[in-house]
Amino acid sequence: MADTALREPGAAVRFRGGGFLPGTSRLAAVAAFVGLILVWQAAISFGLVSPVFLPSPVEIASALRDLTMSGELWRHLSISLVRIGSGWALGTAAGLCVGTAMALFSLARSVGLPMVSALYPIPKIALLPLLILWLGIGEVSKTATIALGVFFPTVIAVYSGIDNVPRNLIRMAQSFDVPFRDIVWKIALPGALPSIMSGFRISVSTALLLVVAAEMIGAESGIGAFVLQAGNLMQTDQLMAGVTVLSILGLIVGAALSWAERALLAWR
Amino acid sequence: MRLHVDIRRHAYDDLAVLDGVAFTVEPGEILCLIGPSGCGKSTLLGIVGGLVRPTDGRVSTEGALPEGSLNPFTFVFQDFALLPWRSVAQNVAFPLEHHRLTASERDALVAEALRRTGLSDFAAALPKQLSGGMRQRVGIARALVVRPALLLLDEPLSALDAQTRELLTEDFLDLWLRERTTAIYVTHNLDEALRLADRVVVLSRRPGRIKEIVTVGVPQRARRGPEAATTLAALRERLWSLIRDEAAIADREMVHG
Amino acid sequence: MPNTGTTRRGALGLIAAASVTGARAEVEAIKVGVLKLASSGPVFLAQDLGLFASQGLDVQLRFFEAAQPVAVATVSGDVDVGVTGLTAGFYNLAGKGALKIVAAQAREEPGYKLVAVVASRKAAEAGLRRIEDLPGHAAAVTQVGSSFHYSLGLLAQTHGFDIARVRILPMQSVPNVVSALKGSQVDAAIIPATAATPLIASGDATLIAWADETPWQVAAMFTSPRMIATRRDALQRFVRAYQAGTAAFSAAFLALGPDGTPQPGPGAEAGLATIAKYTGQSVASVRDSIPYMDPQARLLVGDIYRQVRWYQGQKLVDAGVDPASVLDLGFVDRHLDLPK
Repeated sequence: MADTALREPGAAVRFRGGGFLPGTSRLAAVAAFVGLILVWQAAISFGLVSPVFLPSPVEIASALRDLTMSGELWRHLSISLVRIGSGWALGTAAGLCVGTAMALFSLARSVGLPMVSALYPIPKIALLPLLILWLGIGEVSKTATIALGVFFPTVIAVYSGIDNVPRNLIRMAQSFDVPFRDIVWKIALPGALPSIMSGFRISVSTALLLVVAAEMIGAESGIGAFVLQAGNLMQTDQLMAGVTVLSILGLIVGAALSWAERALLAWR
Repeated sequence: MRLHVDIRRHAYDDLAVLDGVAFTVEPGEILCLIGPSGCGKSTLLGIVGGLVRPTDGRVSTEGALPEGSLNPFTFVFQDFALLPWRSVAQNVAFPLEHHRLTASERDALVAEALRRTGLSDFAAALPKQLSGGMRQRVGIARALVVRPALLLLDEPLSALDAQTRELLTEDFLDLWLRERTTAIYVTHNLDEALRLADRVVVLSRRPGRIKEIVTVGVPQRARRGPEAATTLAALRERLWSLIRDEAAIADREMVHG
Repeated sequence: MPNTGTTRRGALGLIAAASVTGARAEVEAIKVGVLKLASSGPVFLAQDLGLFASQGLDVQLRFFEAAQPVAVATVSGDVDVGVTGLTAGFYNLAGKGALKIVAAQAREEPGYKLVAVVASRKAAEAGLRRIEDLPGHAAAVTQVGSSFHYSLGLLAQTHGFDIARVRILPMQSVPNVVSALKGSQVDAAIIPATAATPLIASGDATLIAWADETPWQVAAMFTSPRMIATRRDALQRFVRAYQAGTAAFSAAFLALGPDGTPQPGPGAEAGLATIAKYTGQSVASVRDSIPYMDPQARLLVGDIYRQVRWYQGQKLVDAGVDPASVLDLGFVDRHLDLPK
């Protein structure tokens, strides 16, 4: 149907160009978060939800406070952070090398692509008994579990990132007889950085996710082991406190990555 | 330095792109390559610059390189091919970095190239902060910083709007008149060719052959003057008549692949 | 051989029927949460022998993969009754007033070798031979606060050392524990006999002890306080049929022979077939995992108290949990080991 207003002489043109430009509001995000917690607390306070099933935010907060005051939280967290950090660094280093090789060399690509497709979807938890056999139950197998989970998304991010670097930039470098090594360091890798950074977002979340799986293997402490044990013991307030710590960790790392992206990718 | 180009045949798989293209580029001249789109102009430039391996043919030089030349052949690209994460000065410095130069030698070369292209005030800017015209100036500065024997310009102004094109043509001509760097300049724009070229090589549609090599005969300095107008208008007519039918047929061809 | 099967089943039914008392009422549906394990045998037998039906109950079995979800489903009302192992997690949940233990299921009893403490090859060669050698070593369990953990704690108590001197490593699952043993990644582990036997046979592990020294209540039948309050009669009938099931189970499998090992009794073959059918396991693996249980499903009440206190001592059960509050002893007569 045509706009009838336009048919009348002298009618103003109606604005039609709105929408499809969503912005973000920090206030709305915080308000939604606070709202959710209030509704949650109210549902329990008014007896709509049994605290047996869902501990109240107040209970979780007090569990969290006790954990912090007793030093337990820091003990678990510091151990896990070492595992997450070393696993992530290891998986990222290996992923960078393999992904770069796959992007640059035919042989690495021919072998690597089907390998990654075949191995990436294997749930790492299913491999735990094997990892225990191969690597034992010490820090090595825990680090390896996280590294393995980090490795594949990194490979894919690096590989597709370099693959998508404009071919013309490489031709440009070749036209100046720039050596292969310099082309990799000065064009391929910086050009792939946006893709690598978004790969980091995925791999860091994966590392946080996998710390629970990694600490399934004979861990006496660590935030993942803490969450697992709280679950096994049906200590739901402790469980939720541990989960809250993990999600706060996720938020912090996410913010750090955003900051790094702004700093490193200012040229975009 | 003189350049001999002799491409007997060039093909991608079964698709013949060039078929018997031979010409010589004289020292200090601007040779324009024109032809309908898809006639293999850019491929030919790639072959000359060593970025494309010809199926059958050879490009050779005769005579010495200019004093202090770090790269004999350098390109200016249609899409500028700037590294977006580097500043203007860093982009211009890029082709120097793998040469044995001291930092001060390098800085001096970069500063000089920026000065010649009018970029001195933009040394620290990122490509994204520049207009298209300024970006191509960076591309030209980068191509010149290594003192090439031969500049290969692949439709350097095609991505720019008409006014910027006009400005850059003038600036490029000024630059060339001072230094007389030998150049092969690929374009599909007849006016650009007639402003810059000493000679114009007209290519046929695919597979590209040389239809004719037209000598402009009017010095570049004199081309804006009224006495040259008639000659140039006649030349333009002539070039257009050579290209017109080819372009019309090429336009109707299905895109290969 | 369908005929023999029917006859055997008849015999089993007779024994069971003898212990069934009480009147018929209208048919009432009861959802029961169980694991696919031989220890759930009494429920399977009662179902197949029509013991629930004869109490006027339509019992619907809901199968679970682990004990914890059965407890949670019982609290949420997804099932009316649960029958599984007792863990620290169970007591934490029950301690919130959400669950009541009503009758017994499996328990440890001397002569019934269901759980083994084993040493890895390396640790055994280095001299880990007896329970008393455990302090200073690392022992794998499935989970902290599991029945295996308690069992190890009980052994430590009996043999006079503090369990804190053993490094307890939770591995989350039996296959993970087996892997750790095979690679001698841990010194010792406490695992089901079905997992231990092949390891001992292959030399990957050495038996240190069976966990059957001290009788203790491993598993139980439980329900929600709401069920007790609103459907007491149906629950009472369920318990009667369940007791008939444990009686049949006991008669079929639990009599000890002159050599001190369990001998098949009347209805054993048919019973094994029934349990194999419900659990989806082979008859042989069912036979190897038949645990002891009281024929009348009576609880070792004192042990429930001991468990709660031990777990509380290990800080695995909230200090506020009162053992008496997780029990309802009114459905089964003459419970055992009653605290004074």
